[in-house]
Amino acid sequence: MEKQTIPKLLRASALKFGSKVALREKDFGIWQDITWEQYYNSTKYFGLGLSALGLREKDKVSILSENNPEWLYADIGTQAVGGIVVGIYPTNVETQVEYILSHSQSRFVVVGDQEQTDKVLEVKDKLPDLKRIIIIDMKGLRKYDNTLIISFEEVSNLGRQEDKEDPVLFDKLVDRTDSEDTALMVYTSGTTGKPKGAMISHRNAISSARNFLESTPLREDDVIVSYLPLCHIAERSFSVLYPLMTGGITVNFAESLNTVQDNIREIAPTVFFAVPRIWEKMHSGHIMRMRDATRFKRLIDNWCFKKEKSLYERNRSGKSAGLYCKLMKFLTYVLHAYPLQRHFGLNKAQTVYTGGAPTPPEVVIFFHSLGIKIRNLYGSTECTGICSVHQGNDIRVDTVGELSPGVELKIADDGELIFKTEGVFQGYYRDPEATAEAVKDGWYYSGDVGALTEEGHLKITDRKKDIIITSGGKNISPQEIENEFKSSPYVRDAVVIGDGRKYLAALILIEYDNVGKWAEDQRISYTTFKDLSQKPEVYEMVSRITEDVNKRFARVETIKKFTVLDKELDQDDDELTATQKVRRTIIEEKYKDTIAKMYKSG
Amino acid sequence: MQRLNIIREEKDGYLENSSNPEPQLTVEKLTLGFGGIEALKEVGFEVNQGEIFSIIGPNGAGKTCIFNCLSGLYTPQKGSIFFEGVFLLPLSPNKRASLGLARTFQNIELFKNMSVLDNILLGRHQFLKSGVFSGGIFLGRVLKEEIANRLKAEEIIDFLEIESIRKKIVGELSYGLQKRVELGRALAMEPRLLLLDEPTAGMNLEETEDIVRFVLDVNEEFGTTIVLIEHDLRVIMDISTRIICIDFGVKIAGGFPEEIQSHPKVIEAYLGEKI
Repeated sequence: MEKQTIPKLLRASALKFGSKVALREKDFGIWQDITWEQYYNSTKYFGLGLSALGLREKDKVSILSENNPEWLYADIGTQAVGGIVVGIYPTNVETQVEYILSHSQSRFVVVGDQEQTDKVLEVKDKLPDLKRIIIIDMKGLRKYDNTLIISFEEVSNLGRQEDKEDPVLFDKLVDRTDSEDTALMVYTSGTTGKPKGAMISHRNAISSARNFLESTPLREDDVIVSYLPLCHIAERSFSVLYPLMTGGITVNFAESLNTVQDNIREIAPTVFFAVPRIWEKMHSGHIMRMRDATRFKRLIDNWCFKKEKSLYERNRSGKSAGLYCKLMKFLTYVLHAYPLQRHFGLNKAQTVYTGGAPTPPEVVIFFHSLGIKIRNLYGSTECTGICSVHQGNDIRVDTVGELSPGVELKIADDGELIFKTEGVFQGYYRDPEATAEAVKDGWYYSGDVGALTEEGHLKITDRKKDIIITSGGKNISPQEIENEFKSSPYVRDAVVIGDGRKYLAALILIEYDNVGKWAEDQRISYTTFKDLSQKPEVYEMVSRITEDVNKRFARVETIKKFTVLDKELDQDDDELTATQKVRRTIIEEKYKDTIAKMYKSG
Repeated sequence: MQRLNIIREEKDGYLENSSNPEPQLTVEKLTLGFGGIEALKEVGFEVNQGEIFSIIGPNGAGKTCIFNCLSGLYTPQKGSIFFEGVFLLPLSPNKRASLGLARTFQNIELFKNMSVLDNILLGRHQFLKSGVFSGGIFLGRVLKEEIANRLKAEEIIDFLEIESIRKKIVGELSYGLQKRVELGRALAMEPRLLLLDEPTAGMNLEETEDIVRFVLDVNEEFGTTIVLIEHDLRVIMDISTRIICIDFGVKIAGGFPEEIQSHPKVIEAYLGEKI
């Protein structure tokens, strides 16, 4: 196991599972199967094609594409011939693409389609290292007259020829890969500063995946839908690493970004991972739909959910269920829980995770009541994924579960969590200072503050640098308060402010669609987001939400003032990271005047 | 991969055609009148294989009349139209369609209560050979035919990126999407010449950019000749190979975009005053 690498794992899987379905892609309206053997061969041809084009060992290959099988071929193919893979978010704009391509010194970039190609062509003059742009979908690009451009198919054909001339070449190359080699680089979106390229070795990736699979085993016949960006370590783990480690998991690729929800419903995955934003959206989507439904349906929904929730809480407190409870459970399941599970496409989901950021407790309880048992994951790119997760049936809303086997934890005096695992990364690319700050003696300083509960669960308070210390000297975690705001369907994001100030204030971003619908129901006319967000009625509504949130916290933790932002936060303006997390420092800087106003009239 | 091959083969086929020096469409002295009004007066132009050819002009200049004459909805009093050497005027609209002439309309003319997929499949009508009885049994050749047509429809859905609305009823869709579906139905006929009547009318900037990109892609991927009526002059100047300008039923100018842009008569027609 120790000398194992990702390409070696793929080769082994191809030998073992051969004609079993590994990947599925919806194309022309039909799900097309790709077997393990085809998976391996396509990877082989692409890898050989790359080396025919002059890829040298340790060269970087960036991938800028939506999720598709070619992403995986390019990923493992590159690693097999000694290259290092860098994933780029398809939502990144030109300048961000340029930064990652130039910082990583990428010699090749694999792009999905015309839109992505245009981004690279726009900045190609500033990228002296870039040798070739490899395009997966050539639609609309045939007339592009550029010597840099080559199609994915052509590269694979080159590789096919190489393979014909020397059938054992690829095997030799795969044998040469070493577990200590850097396999991939993940540019962490980071809520502060420029993204940093975390270097992850084969050993990091594989041992971290093994730790995870020991804590929550997946089955061979599990089905996954790959829809979150593959450049993020979480989706990479679920779509690439775990299937390779368990062998036989089928990974499904959605037809297009707009059809993800439908595709999930069609596939009904047995394993499902989503970030909080998606759970929040499903939850608020349900609330909004019920608001438009007939009185009868609303009645059923209310009654069933109340029952389900009380049953769930009863179960949590460990009371045994009597005949009445079982009957109620069955009734609500038939009437309410099962149809909703079907609606979300999660009726077969056995193992469900949330992670990446904290999920509002109200949302988690909603899904638990419906019988969708969301487990919290906690991890980081620098630990190559998961550090802790809810294991077995021990799921608690307020923790992120027990540490995975193979993960050691120390808690610093200031509460910072420090981890040691085989997954701790090799360092940031071309940034020894940041590396030295993050890793000391093999221990990774996570920057998160938290504690272990009596039951051995890890509980995260907040990011260390985000903790607010008011002028009264009280330590407050903004995250908890922000999450209470976000459980309202009308609030998309909240930023709590108050570091070094007398009291707390908040910037509130409303959820455009839902507040828009609400406004229509209230017969409030509006034109744009800006107009809607500044309506006095909306202000009043947000102040009601604020009062509600304030009830749940101690007096020092209450929000005294708030402002409704008149513009949606945007990744293009650097206000959000690629994973849709709020960049606090940038927002505080940008809305300096607004914030000052909230404290002036105090 | 397979799709790329199909497209490539098709494109090669067209390229051979394009070595043909004859214009694909020839319109000569087209004259059309309704009662006392002369909608078109001796309008003539030629369109070459693979071009994006645009017709511009103020409201009521007679642009759509030209399209209606080409597709067979109107019969001109005088003049002739040749498409790939065939004299079109005596032919019925469906005959013309089966020759490879497809069009979209200024005001969307889709079947509002049918799904997107069905609308596109309808464009395949001319390729269906089976009759009522064999269709009722739905075996063998009919089944094969159905699968082949569905594949083609799916290719178009993929091409126009409308997978997510495949099963939606057309009437529920936004205007921009309906326009895209209409383009899809026209493409389903596998036309060699596509008549687009104001494809960007009533669209916002983003929808306009989308549809222009698709028009360019159609032209490039399938080698389809495109004749375009359009009001958005920026779009026209950007994508057209050649342009003619019509005013009060008379062709007042013709040529490359740069020539048209600086043509005094065009400026006059658009600004409405003498210069």
